[in-house]
Amino acid sequence: MIETIIKRDGRAVPFSIDKIANAIFQAAKATGGNDYEEALALSQKVVDYIESTGNTRPTVEEIQDAVEKILIESGHARTAKKFILYRSERSRVREMNTRLMKIYEGLTFKDAKENDIKRENANIDGDTSMGTMLKYGSEGAKQFNELYVLKPEHSKAHAEGDIHIHDLDFLTLTTTCCQIDINKLFKGGFSTGHGFLREPNDISSYAALAAIAIQSNQNDQHGGQSIPAFDTFLAPGVKKTYRRFYVSNLSKGLELLCGFEDAFEASKNLCLEVEGTYGLTPVFANDNDYQAKEADLLINKYKLPEANVRKAQSFAVKKAVKETDKQTYQAMEAFVHNLNTMHSRAGAQVPFSSITLGDDPSPEARLVCKNFLLATDAGLGNGETAIFPVSIFRVKEGVNYNPADPNYDLFKLAMKVSAKRLFPNFCFADATFNAPGYDVNDYNSKVAYMGCRTRVKANVYDPTRQVTCGRGNLSFTSINLPRIAIKAHGNTDIFFEELDRKIDLVFDQLYDRFLIQGRRRVYNYPFLMGQGLWLDSDKLKPDDEVMEVLKHGTLTVGFIGLAEALKALIGSHHGETQEARNLGLEIVGHMRSRCDQKSQEEGMNYTLIATPAEGLSGRFVRMDRERYGVIPGVTDRAYYTNSFHVPVYFPISAFEKIKIEGPYHNLTNAGHISYIEMDGNPLDNLDAFESVIRCMKDNNMGYASINHPVDRDPVCGYTGIIGDVCPRCGRHDGEAISEEVLMKIKGYSTSVCSCDENPLEEADKVAHPVDIVEI
Amino acid sequence: MMESKMVGEGVKFERIRRITGYLVGTLDRFNDAKYAEVNDRVKHSIGTGNGEFEEV
Repeated sequence: MIETIIKRDGRAVPFSIDKIANAIFQAAKATGGNDYEEALALSQKVVDYIESTGNTRPTVEEIQDAVEKILIESGHARTAKKFILYRSERSRVREMNTRLMKIYEGLTFKDAKENDIKRENANIDGDTSMGTMLKYGSEGAKQFNELYVLKPEHSKAHAEGDIHIHDLDFLTLTTTCCQIDINKLFKGGFSTGHGFLREPNDISSYAALAAIAIQSNQNDQHGGQSIPAFDTFLAPGVKKTYRRFYVSNLSKGLELLCGFEDAFEASKNLCLEVEGTYGLTPVFANDNDYQAKEADLLINKYKLPEANVRKAQSFAVKKAVKETDKQTYQAMEAFVHNLNTMHSRAGAQVPFSSITLGDDPSPEARLVCKNFLLATDAGLGNGETAIFPVSIFRVKEGVNYNPADPNYDLFKLAMKVSAKRLFPNFCFADATFNAPGYDVNDYNSKVAYMGCRTRVKANVYDPTRQVTCGRGNLSFTSINLPRIAIKAHGNTDIFFEELDRKIDLVFDQLYDRFLIQGRRRVYNYPFLMGQGLWLDSDKLKPDDEVMEVLKHGTLTVGFIGLAEALKALIGSHHGETQEARNLGLEIVGHMRSRCDQKSQEEGMNYTLIATPAEGLSGRFVRMDRERYGVIPGVTDRAYYTNSFHVPVYFPISAFEKIKIEGPYHNLTNAGHISYIEMDGNPLDNLDAFESVIRCMKDNNMGYASINHPVDRDPVCGYTGIIGDVCPRCGRHDGEAISEEVLMKIKGYSTSVCSCDENPLEEADKVAHPVDIVEI
Repeated sequence: MMESKMVGEGVKFERIRRITGYLVGTLDRFNDAKYAEVNDRVKHSIGTGNGEFEEV
């Protein structure tokens, strides 16, 4: 006689036959059954069977085994199937809960250096309170979404590593990224949700509010925030600043030379008078008739001596130019500092910011660009390389690419800064896929890149709105190419068939996610939609769903490990053989044409990205090695090669690599990037640096960058290449050095060192460098 | 002459590397896979610098 049963946690609880009957009844109901009496009779058979084995204290598992056996033996096959499904589902939930608690345990009790999950994203410090809290939330949300939100087939494909659903923790919450039109945002002021900000009136406030726009929007989205024409957008700030400085300096000149009382008011009114009468305003380039009209008024109306008027005017121009330049530099410096220090993203991260600039030839925009580059060159407070924003110099023939172009000096400066600081990256507006529609005077016509590589330009949903601003990626999911290749056993037909199935699966999953995102309302995205940043969101009311306007964004398929896939399929990767090169382009070309076709069918933007893959770099290969063992060139490293890249370990010349990777940029319309690893200090060889950049452009790349080691010893402040020993102060990593030696190295004598100032910091400060490039 | 103080004990060199398109200030923050990848990276020779390609 069974009186107690043993639960999974080991507790003994009183036995009740109704519980078995109910489980059978529920399973039968799911197949259309409706007979509780029969369920009860069957559970009696279950009890009889267990007792016949002599077991009087069965476990839950033993009872469930018996239920399966009795159901099958008594001809209830469909009910048995339901019961087995139910049972496996329950045990999956239990396993997941255990897994989550294991993850939480690791997050709680292990440091980041022992816990890979805490280092999934290198820009989150997993050792801080907010960093750990962010991971608790993120890991919990991922598991919940995997279990209860995703369709089972999507969840399974993700869990088993056929595909990777990026940012799964945000599945039910928001979209990836946005290219922000701050020009539009600033017009008339905007609100951050906690206060209203007036339209800015000088370059400092323009730069400060640009950072605020990035920070505010960062909390509405999980991906990067970008300002696609930073120089153009901030130019009005320079304009306003120059005007103000001009008026105030003119007043000083007039007061001194002409004995004007209350000269400031007078100058202001004078300026307003010229503006009102002639529509002319003092401008940075001083290339209009403003000064002539102003002189005319001063001499003829106010009867001032001409010589003094001319003198005051030229004094005002000279001073205003200098002060505007200086103020712009300081604004850029503050902008960079701000974006590297404010942990405004979920309390644990600085915003993932990027800005594109370089191809606006107006004098004010040039001043912004120059000073941004100089501030990047100078680095942070102790000369550290700034990590954010990702800056992108937009290269364009006729604007900055050739010596005769108006912004060629800025292109040169950009390369010099990049050779020292790794940023800016370079995007190429002349690439065949970026060039259409480019208009130097229309920022919305210029392609921009976001963060690590995202690109949004064409618009199948609304072909009349192929604009850069107000759009971004909605979500992306990557396909495990090497696994498909391993499973194809060298048969490319099988490879393509399976690839097609995976692409279909990803399309379906992206669309499901889009439906979740789209059913959210304007109030769920208070800044992005509430302040009208997203295209057409300004036409919506707070309670409206965002479904329609989200269609301006992109649904994106990604991939990783083309090199390993090729290796598995034909034994060589695209760095090695022409055969692999052809097949690689065929594979990625096929993925792209599937996306294009889907876009046409659905009237939405399905696009293809060369996935950035930070957290993903090790995930697929770990699973594939477990399944298929170590396959040389395929699963024998800790990572799969990024997107379409030639493997990082493969020796190849820069130019050859560029030639091989170039064609993939044209295929990956949702984003791409190529890198060249340059040896030594590129500052010593800027010509080589430039030849690599030009080669990238010649090979129709869209976005690229040059990597080189940037090391820094925080103790002596040396920046450059450091091996085991700092070339400047001679200390090893983590080693102490005597302060006296340090002082000597840094050109200080201990006797002049006052106690109040820290000579270490002082020595790192650079002279104000606005004169590096004269504009 | 006062005794010289020692400074810098435990202060590590910063090694800034590009990870997936953005920069990271220290290798300590890289996940295991990316750390392995960074260690495997080889330099790409620039050759003549005139954009000449080896035959591929």
